[in-house]
Amino acid sequence: MAAAMETDQFPCVLTVQVPFPTARLASVALQSLQVDKELSPLVRRTFSTSPPARDANTTADQDKTLHVEYRATTNRMLRVAVNSFMESLNLVIEVMEHLDADVLAAEAHST
Amino acid sequence: MAPLYALGCEGSANKLGIGVISHDPETNKTKILSNIRHTFVSPPGTGFLPKDTAAHHRAHFVSVAREALKVAGLASPKDLSCICYTRGPGMGAPLTSVAVAARTLSLLWGLDLVGVNHCVGHIEMGRVITGADNPVVLYVSGGNTQVIAYAEQRYRIFGETLDIAVGNCIDRFARTLAIPNDPFPGYNVEQLAKKAFFEPDGTTKREPVLLDLPYAVKGMDCSFSGILGAADLLAAQMRKQDALLASGATLKEGEERITPEDLCFTLQETVFAMLVEITERAMAHVGSKQVLVVGGVGCNERLQEMMGLMARDRGGSVYATDERFCIDNGIMIGLAGLLAWETGFRTPFEDSTCTQRFRTDEVHIKWRTD
Repeated sequence: MAAAMETDQFPCVLTVQVPFPTARLASVALQSLQVDKELSPLVRRTFSTSPPARDANTTADQDKTLHVEYRATTNRMLRVAVNSFMESLNLVIEVMEHLDADVLAAEAHST
Repeated sequence: MAPLYALGCEGSANKLGIGVISHDPETNKTKILSNIRHTFVSPPGTGFLPKDTAAHHRAHFVSVAREALKVAGLASPKDLSCICYTRGPGMGAPLTSVAVAARTLSLLWGLDLVGVNHCVGHIEMGRVITGADNPVVLYVSGGNTQVIAYAEQRYRIFGETLDIAVGNCIDRFARTLAIPNDPFPGYNVEQLAKKAFFEPDGTTKREPVLLDLPYAVKGMDCSFSGILGAADLLAAQMRKQDALLASGATLKEGEERITPEDLCFTLQETVFAMLVEITERAMAHVGSKQVLVVGGVGCNERLQEMMGLMARDRGGSVYATDERFCIDNGIMIGLAGLLAWETGFRTPFEDSTCTQRFRTDEVHIKWRTD
């Protein structure tokens, strides 16, 4: 019943799966991104690093993937919310790529 | 005990600042290891919008952070005690963009997060740099205008703006005149105001013209929006004069020719006089002889001069810093965050959000015991 209401009120859905090299990085992305609440009441979202329960083929690899689902009342709201998510995700990945402890240590070692 | 290190990340307005600072809890010595800043400058006649400013901060975060670490010369980020970021007050989108990156760093490096009140950052930085131990603080910037005095572990607001910040008034008037925003609009208004003391040839001295603007002090508070409106009207009158003279006609008998230089001079004299008045009243109230000026408008030399004259008459002095520390920067966030961290303060990861409204007196100043 509740699920049906969700679908009625938030018919526009987009799911994104972001693969990371390690489960640690996937978890860092999840935690960094989920702190800020979605500003619009017209948008709902869920983040997880484990696959949805309905997915039977669970492998260890699934922990390395960030699963994101956005639901919105209109496609316009969906686009705005997902664009904003992508901008933040891009920043998180860039920080991981250039500022992770092992990256800095490797650079310090090579110079 | 060895000194502690913190990384400070600031992005509440158009400046992205990241720096490393150290503080020794035993000796109370502070050292700046790096202070890197990248400013989003919008074209003349325009201001910086939240969306564009946030995009700027995201685009430059990695390079500014790497530069801050490189200049600091820390062997490893593990030498840091905490990651400090601006929790507020400020513009929502730019604040959040920096918080997202600060959170990621905190997880990658396994360090505590400390959310910092931007105003408290300015005050602590000003105290360290100038050595003023317990001053009345005038905090003047593009987003804030407050007269503050410390009492019992709070920075208490004695007076503040009732509408827009004094820096916002000056910045928006710079927009009216369409003068450049580089390095920052207030600087260019200050340079024009200095030219009001000279004829157009740039060498012959003249008396600047103080035009008519409202003066809006209400008790301990100030109002700037009406002054901006009145200054904009004078600027519109000046442009009419420009058009009239260009068409070969002459001004009406007795009508004064308005110039951008006199306008900037008048605006500065008026709003700074208001700030000096409320600051002096706060000093008299708390019995302090020190006044510390912080925030971006605080590097205006004319404001420092006027404040200095007032303080001298009271047998005291003015403490001010230059643009490295006055204008938003990362180390002020690092310093205030590190002082809080030393007292045991942590921002729980799940609460590491930002807030556009965050008053100076909401923060418990646990590190001061005077």
